[in-house]
Amino acid sequence: MLSARRVLIMAEMHGRDLLRRRAALLLLIALPLAFYLSAGRTARFSVTAGGVGMAFAIAGATLFSTLSSAEVDQRLVLGGYRPAELLLGRLLFLGPLGLVIAGAFSVMMVGFADPVKPWLLVLGVALVALQSVPLGLAVGTGVARELEGTLVIIGVVGIQMAAAPDSMVAKVLPFYQPQQLIIAGVDGQGPVLWPLFWTMVYGLALLALARIFVGSRLDVAARRARDERVEAPSPS
Amino acid sequence: MEPSSAPTLVVSAVHKSYRRSQVLRDVDLSAAPGEVVALTGENGAGKSTLLRICAGLLRPDSGTVTVTGHTGYCPQSPGLFELLTAEEHLVMFGRGVGLSRATSIDRGRRLLDGFGFPAGKPLATRDMSGGTRQKLNLALAVLADPALLLLDEPYQGFDRGTYVNFWDHCDVWRRQGKAVVVVTHMLAELGRVDRVVELPAHASRRN
Repeated sequence: MLSARRVLIMAEMHGRDLLRRRAALLLLIALPLAFYLSAGRTARFSVTAGGVGMAFAIAGATLFSTLSSAEVDQRLVLGGYRPAELLLGRLLFLGPLGLVIAGAFSVMMVGFADPVKPWLLVLGVALVALQSVPLGLAVGTGVARELEGTLVIIGVVGIQMAAAPDSMVAKVLPFYQPQQLIIAGVDGQGPVLWPLFWTMVYGLALLALARIFVGSRLDVAARRARDERVEAPSPS
Repeated sequence: MEPSSAPTLVVSAVHKSYRRSQVLRDVDLSAAPGEVVALTGENGAGKSTLLRICAGLLRPDSGTVTVTGHTGYCPQSPGLFELLTAEEHLVMFGRGVGLSRATSIDRGRRLLDGFGFPAGKPLATRDMSGGTRQKLNLALAVLADPALLLLDEPYQGFDRGTYVNFWDHCDVWRRQGKAVVVVTHMLAELGRVDRVVELPAHASRRN
């Protein structure tokens, strides 16, 4: 059974580790801002570009958090953690962090872009932030090294930005649905429930993928730890 | 404590290859409670690979590994969070086996003191010396009071005093009934172990 205490301690430790990286935190905020400010052609385009910058930043931070601690993860699983607890711990810290960044960013965008439905814009930006975490987790657990992971994220987010908005390629990528909400917020028209639903489905699918990848990576250690738990109860 | 007959670790007929290069061929190894086993061999003989297989971090191509009880593993290079302190690592690793925050710190602090870990202002692991990081690495392996200790050249970066102290700790773990497997190149210390298992040289170096 999953332990909330183990998940919480993982979230806490990932938080402590990341919050001490001042330069990285600054870049987490500066990157979406730079994308937003440098793409000032139309409100719709600059808001979308800002969202892309945020996806890069949060997915990148998640990727780093996952890959840089791959060795520790193995020892933690051997030491009693379940692979899912390691994933949930990261999600529990990076999700809210993404929402904080999205919140600050939304306030600025609502102020500058003058959207017809501000709440939809805020919702879309929040979903971009939330979707970025499972994407970073899935890529981080699916590749062996940071270079490959970074290139995959650049590929996914870059294609999302470059592809024609109504093309099939754009529609199967993870940020298409949140992007629809952002556009609906700016223009004041467009579906709401459908993009919301598919963003959740997509996010859960990415999490399931990350769980499969991390399970196969930590499979032997996890089985050993399970055997130990059956044989000797943990000390209290 | 004299080594008892029921081993804590039994490795049988383990084979492991990386691509086309065979690293381990038909390897057997065992360690009983209260026994310190030194694992030696040339560079590339597969000592670290075997230890990772014993720890459950690597799957053998064939063969079996049976462990009775909890395993503590100290890798050669400490896999730690760069910006967390020693105490934060103790709390995180202690939680894995259900230890409270206070118990983890208390138990870990005693272990670190025993290894000569410097007291003073808490440092992030990236600001520690290699030897100090390794002391933390070793303490994390022992924290949950494991029945089996797998130590991959755990004294790297230790100064002379701490190095001698490490072998004294091996004596203590032996008396506590732990099974200890130490990867070592230090032939002068082999008199302090109960058994030496030498892995044959890598196939490319065999005649």
